[in-house]
Amino acid sequence: MDNIVLLVVLPLLAAFLMPVVARSSEVVARTLGLSVLFISIGIILNVWSQSGQIDSQAVSIVIGGFLPPLGINFYVDQISLFFALAVPVMVLLFWPWHRATSIREYSLMMLLTASASGLILSGDLFNIYVFYELLGIASYSLVAIQGRVSAVAASFRYLLMGSVGSVMMLLGIAIIYTQTGTLNLAHLSLLAPEKLNNMLGLASFALILTGMGVKAELFPVNSWVPEVYGSVSSNLAALMAGLLSKLAVIVIVRLLILLFPQPEALQLMGMLGILGVLTGELVAWRSRDFVRMLSFSSIGQLGLIFLAFSIPGEMGMMAGIAIALHHMLVKPALFMLATGWRGAVENLSGVARRSPFVVLLFIVLILSLLGIPPLPGFWAKYLLMVGLSSQDGFIYTLGMIIVPLAMVIEMAYLFKIVMIMYRKDNDEPAVNNSNIVDDSNIVDDSNIKVVQKHSKWGLAIAASVAAMLIAIVLQLQPASDKLLSLANQLSDRNYYISTVFPQIHTVRMQSIK
Amino acid sequence: MTSVTELLAELLLMPFIAFVVGLAMVLMYRKIAARLQRRIGPPLLQPIYDIVKLYGKETQISHGLIHDIGLVMAVGGYVAAEIFLPVPGMDGIADKGGIITLSYVLMVPSLGLALGVGQCANPNGSIGISRALTAMLAYDIPFIIVVFGVATHYQSTSLVGMIEYQQIHQWGIFEMPLLAVAGLFALQGMMGKQPFEIYVAPAEIATGPMVEMSGKYMGGLFVMQTFQLYTAGVLYTSLFLGGGANWFEFLVKIFIVVAIPMSVALVFPRYRTEDMVRIMWKWPVMVALIGIAFVL
Amino acid sequence: MSVLDDLLLFTALASVAIIVLRRFAFISKFSVVVYVLATVLLIKMSALGYGGEAVYSSFTVNVLGQVLQWRFDALSWFFALITLVVALFTALFMSGAWGDKYRKEHSKEAYGLLQVALILNVLSMLVLLASGDLLSLFIGWELVSWASFMMMALNPDKVARKAAIKYIVYAMAGAMAILMAIAMTYNMTGSLDYVQVMQGMAQLNNSQIAVLVSLYAIGFGIKMGVIPFHLWQATAYAETPGAGAVFMGAISARMGLYALILVIVQIIGLTRVAAIEIPYTFLDMQNALAWVGALTTIIPTYIALKQNDARYLLAWHGVGQGGYMLLGVMIADSIGTAGGIMHVFNYATYQAALFMTVTAVIYRTGTSNFSKLGGLVTQMPLTFMVMVVSIIGLAGIPPMNGFVSKWLIYRALLLDGQPLLFVAAVIGTLGTILSVYKLVHNTFLGQLRLEHQDVREAPLSMLIPMLGLAIIIFATGVMPGVVLDWVAAAQIAIGIAPVEHNLGGIELVQGGLNMIWVTGVMFYGFAVGAIIFYFLGGKSKHIHQYDNYAGGHFLTSKVRYHYSNHFYAGLMHLIGGWYRNIFIKLEYALVSLVSFMSQLSENFYRSSQPAMLVAAIVMLALWYIMSADGSAPVLVQGLQGGMSK
Repeated sequence: MDNIVLLVVLPLLAAFLMPVVARSSEVVARTLGLSVLFISIGIILNVWSQSGQIDSQAVSIVIGGFLPPLGINFYVDQISLFFALAVPVMVLLFWPWHRATSIREYSLMMLLTASASGLILSGDLFNIYVFYELLGIASYSLVAIQGRVSAVAASFRYLLMGSVGSVMMLLGIAIIYTQTGTLNLAHLSLLAPEKLNNMLGLASFALILTGMGVKAELFPVNSWVPEVYGSVSSNLAALMAGLLSKLAVIVIVRLLILLFPQPEALQLMGMLGILGVLTGELVAWRSRDFVRMLSFSSIGQLGLIFLAFSIPGEMGMMAGIAIALHHMLVKPALFMLATGWRGAVENLSGVARRSPFVVLLFIVLILSLLGIPPLPGFWAKYLLMVGLSSQDGFIYTLGMIIVPLAMVIEMAYLFKIVMIMYRKDNDEPAVNNSNIVDDSNIVDDSNIKVVQKHSKWGLAIAASVAAMLIAIVLQLQPASDKLLSLANQLSDRNYYISTVFPQIHTVRMQSIK
Repeated sequence: MTSVTELLAELLLMPFIAFVVGLAMVLMYRKIAARLQRRIGPPLLQPIYDIVKLYGKETQISHGLIHDIGLVMAVGGYVAAEIFLPVPGMDGIADKGGIITLSYVLMVPSLGLALGVGQCANPNGSIGISRALTAMLAYDIPFIIVVFGVATHYQSTSLVGMIEYQQIHQWGIFEMPLLAVAGLFALQGMMGKQPFEIYVAPAEIATGPMVEMSGKYMGGLFVMQTFQLYTAGVLYTSLFLGGGANWFEFLVKIFIVVAIPMSVALVFPRYRTEDMVRIMWKWPVMVALIGIAFVL
Repeated sequence: MSVLDDLLLFTALASVAIIVLRRFAFISKFSVVVYVLATVLLIKMSALGYGGEAVYSSFTVNVLGQVLQWRFDALSWFFALITLVVALFTALFMSGAWGDKYRKEHSKEAYGLLQVALILNVLSMLVLLASGDLLSLFIGWELVSWASFMMMALNPDKVARKAAIKYIVYAMAGAMAILMAIAMTYNMTGSLDYVQVMQGMAQLNNSQIAVLVSLYAIGFGIKMGVIPFHLWQATAYAETPGAGAVFMGAISARMGLYALILVIVQIIGLTRVAAIEIPYTFLDMQNALAWVGALTTIIPTYIALKQNDARYLLAWHGVGQGGYMLLGVMIADSIGTAGGIMHVFNYATYQAALFMTVTAVIYRTGTSNFSKLGGLVTQMPLTFMVMVVSIIGLAGIPPMNGFVSKWLIYRALLLDGQPLLFVAAVIGTLGTILSVYKLVHNTFLGQLRLEHQDVREAPLSMLIPMLGLAIIIFATGVMPGVVLDWVAAAQIAIGIAPVEHNLGGIELVQGGLNMIWVTGVMFYGFAVGAIIFYFLGGKSKHIHQYDNYAGGHFLTSKVRYHYSNHFYAGLMHLIGGWYRNIFIKLEYALVSLVSFMSQLSENFYRSSQPAMLVAAIVMLALWYIMSADGSAPVLVQGLQGGMSK
């Protein structure tokens, strides 16, 4: 169990060692990186199989021998373990295989892995901040390293946004610290109802939300999204849209549950979520570029997730997790399909005749994204709607109206693409049959036809995601039970506290302070 | 429930009476027209002569099967309609249909005629039909409102029931004067008389439905006209004038009813079709709606 | 395994089989067999049509605390019967010559996909009809929507594609309204099971019911194409490829009516709906819905009058006829609902027949444009006959079946004392008569075009289903009691007193209807007319179709004199000004609004200094939060406290 720590340490080490090792042998360096990922996956699977009851039993891992709240700890429950597994798996899936650029990118990927794992596992605010910053650095650099001018520009924008965000977050953490004098989450959680249940607490939440929100594509700190996703490779976009945004969301939700009991916090998040849904889908409706459309759609979906998590109670938690996981599956798959379909959507005319299977795959994915029953996306939307309607209050009523509206808009633009794909009035396809699987050759000018062959790897990912979606439909009952247990565990404050402080009672905690 | 023999007799008698009375009405119309124009007018049997003449003509052009069937539908539809119209001593199958059914059966002749004319492939005929159908749209709306008001008033759609009610209580015209006025207006259109007859006007014959009707086709239309006049008179009498306790009273009533629009017709010029729609949808509809407000 | 399981499983397996085998030539015969077998399975449940107990599926799904279940009651059975019969006739229709031509013109794959779309539509409709709770209803609903979309999207033309997209946007909006309503229903009543929801509804107050009813009505109404959601339907159905249009036009939109009856009439109950007064009007909600129905009969019917393409004309009538059904159901007495529900059957038969005739005309001539047709009666007499029978049904003139259901609706309106609705219904009927004459005249009557001189009668494989439908139209017109049995059973199922009927129609003290007598007398009348015509007077001479004149001049066949353009010129001169395209403008305004909002949002994402903007906003927000309730000193104290540590 304790080797969970290796999840952070090994990739971090690899990240620093790789450039060094590469000086003597590049092959070894690359193997080092990959093997670390495999080891990480192995560790997690091992943990999962060893302690069979991780499903019902969370674990707090103390690091360095000092007990919390003085020492630092990792908190491992179902959801964090799941994400800790998802990190190396997805990094592996979206590994920049075909990029002959440099070892630096691999090194940055490892840094990303380490910081992402750390972020999801950390049990105190300070570490969360540190890993968050690391994650930021890794991702800014990864964007910038893509080589295109537009990518550098986008990266700079992203950097600005991210820096402002981290300042905000730091300020928020500072406020919390001044109020409570501790940074351990469990400890904070004990103190929160008393110390943070006020306007000041709300302010610190707003600051942390804004800070973390940059990664989570939260409105209004998400204006970097379309440019970054539009200029980086599909692999990286898939990773960022699929994984990193969800990580940030889960961390925000965890902080929200543990630290901020006030309903205004939920409402603030809900409101921003609604704005995200609305603006994201509206702009996606306008955009004429496939990847850009997907990026805005991603913003919209993240808005939905925030809105879902802002619903108090079990229903909201389930809805949020369901949408988040669903989006985590579908959006990377869509980005994988986008590999072959960059540029203006008009260029996709007639694609369906040339690659009917890929288009079919695309349709299944977007149907699920739209929430068409009986695909999994529908159950997530259903939970969201039931959750929204169970609350009264302006935000939720507004959400009740905006969400369906956004879905209609999303449907409109996604199926406009499908219709273009099935159009027959096009001339000879502009397929470049040379071995193009690498999208670094793609020209940014969207007037040029850039319909290319999909990489087999990307198609395999998309196909397996579609297969997973269908498998979930066939296994609805177990899936919904699992979701319920995830939601229960995530939303239970007392459970978190008692896991971190097994023996210590509330009275004792008071005295420690 | 009438016995079978009685019904069979009614099946034969009712259309026959309608035909004879209709002929008399045609004659009356011509006589009124003549008197107003200071002529003597035709002799007693002139309508019959006309029909015989038309049926006996040598040139009889058929444009095809539908042309013939259209005529059959036009005449046959009215023959059927007569059996839905109760007259003194004979109810026909009025209890199986009622006023709504009757109104729709009355559309069958129009449809038949329209199909027949259509087959003729004469553009002028088609123009005539388009006008005729528009005219139908014009007068049917006030007529249907009147029917609604009357049926609501009597709480029945059975013409037999309506007549019984009126004979026990009072004539409909006294209980629903506004609807009666509106009904009379609509009647003017239904009978195809001036000022609402542009689609069949003698002066417009070359651009009307009759353009390709020669010989017995025209004769069929003549027969249809007799039925048309009779139906209009009887229907109005049944709705507003209490039907007839005996044949004498009944005939007097229907002749008076028919005479009024005829007299009006002869002092008016014609309206264009769209003007007809306009006037029909304005005045009689308004009056009928006010009438309904009183009934409800 | 209940019979329902058999039916659903069989249809599902058949769908898979058709998907797999779609490229083979024998698929057309195969699909006919499939629909025959499915119909047989449905007939096994025919006890439902005569008041039998509901049939439950043994298959259930537990998900998220809900039990999804499926069942058939009399109402579902009635709709399923129509669906399967129409599907069977459609499959027959496309199995022969039409299918061969379609294969040749497009591809084997295209034809196979048409078969796939048909079976998927049938399957999804059966799933919808079998739904046993609101969630399974919604699932079925969405499946139907997307299956219809697939059918529409099979036409590669640009117009059709646009129509399909428009349809699916409307359908999605409707589905979202329903989803909202279902979520609210769940929270208000604590369940989604029909019986429990029905009990729960009793506890709700009027405003809650009002919200639910409006949402459900919007959702289901969009599928039906009621005013003001009527814009999508006509183009979409008209542009669906031939045989597909037959099926879609006949039954697809009726799923909206089914769901509406189920939810608003059966579960919520019209007495609750009637109790809701709409402010600033004299209407209650039930009346308002009835008025929606009435307007839906009028407006689309008069739009149909203006169409210059047979398919569009029929499709617009399809929208209009839906209004009668809604109107009938919303009268809420036993006669009115019977009329509304029965009209679904009658409408399906004649609409299918009409689309088939038009498709047959297209098959032979290649067009359904009125300006390019005319005079086909001599070439395609049987097709013409089917069309005449069906338009008499559509116009609601005795002795065809359309008359009976309309009669029931009129009768109910009379009994209910609703003069304006009655007038509205009649205006709709008159408009229908005008436009169906235009249809038959411009296609089959008038001048035959030179290029159509060699056109032959539609092939037998297309004629058989057409004639079969014509027979059904006539037979159920003469003996409406056959259908009324099923309708009465459906009425019991939805909790309305069943209509009292006999084989010939309705027995009522205040004036009933007996179609056997009516038809008998009408045919007697025709016989008399025929005797007068054929046995009296001289013999008529048949002349050639092209032997014609106008204004004293002989018209050669080269002169195009078919009067088809601007057919009701006089009427249009008068009412032309009323076609204001208000709804099209409304739709456009909505799209423009979305576009404007979209532009606004895009401006945000394009702003050059988002970070500064955000920082400023957050700082302002913080300042507001801190100063909002005077808790600013806390921060200062807190900071000071922190520093002093």
